[in-house]
Amino acid sequence: MPEASALAVRKSITVRAAPEKAFEVFTAGIERWWPRKTHSVSGERTAGVTMETREGGRVFETNDAGGEIEWGVVTSWEPPRQVAFTWHPGYDNPGNYTDIEVTFTADGEGTRMELVHTGWERLGDEAARSQRSYDGGWDYVLAQFVERANE
Amino acid sequence: MTYGPALQALADPTRRAILERLRGGPSPVGALAAGLPVSRPAVSQHLRVLREAALVAERREGTRNIYSLDPRGLEQLRQYIDSFWDEVLERYKEAVEQDGPQKKEGGNHARSKRTGGPQKHHG
Repeated sequence: MPEASALAVRKSITVRAAPEKAFEVFTAGIERWWPRKTHSVSGERTAGVTMETREGGRVFETNDAGGEIEWGVVTSWEPPRQVAFTWHPGYDNPGNYTDIEVTFTADGEGTRMELVHTGWERLGDEAARSQRSYDGGWDYVLAQFVERANE
Repeated sequence: MTYGPALQALADPTRRAILERLRGGPSPVGALAAGLPVSRPAVSQHLRVLREAALVAERREGTRNIYSLDPRGLEQLRQYIDSFWDEVLERYKEAVEQDGPQKKEGGNHARSKRTGGPQKHHG
């Protein structure tokens, strides 16, 4: 069984656009396309989604009352090749974040974009620190879940 | 966006410990509580959360409730994560390609105006 730390949910698509454009739309242009009514913490009340386009920048939603809910922080910014950010939208404990890395590679006349979602083992960190002895189930659970996600 | 009840349920170490114990086979609440450093009522509460997340199933045997692993919760979680990113990336692809690929020779230089009213801009 693989270790949870090595587990990743992977998605990839090819888009008909140059890497520069694919990168720009994913990052600075996230407001234009993110399905914010269905994929957000505030749901129908979500007014906008922003990615601050620099390392250390925030990814957050804005609701119709003007409030901001952080989804994560940009940890790597290498246009037009790669962007990475932490991910904790709606998590009870933002310290239990997961990680998203998105890479853009020229592929013929388009761009192959791969999204890798890792860091699941961090959700068990608290347990690992305080109750290591009885937390043996986490790797098992994650392995099952992630292996299925990649089927 | 919270990955549904399954991930919330799994975020607690005691609940993961309960699942770990149930891998060894179905068990009544008393036996589960005996091996854990929390009270029996607390274990019952955790079992309720796990049942609501479809990670644990419950059946009645005489006067006792017997708990066992329920594979539906993990399957729901898997489907949730999978469809979450599928839907996000589908929208992304539409947006990237909406402006048109960088064609070598565009025959039509006029920018078509969208129907359906003026576009909104930040202000």
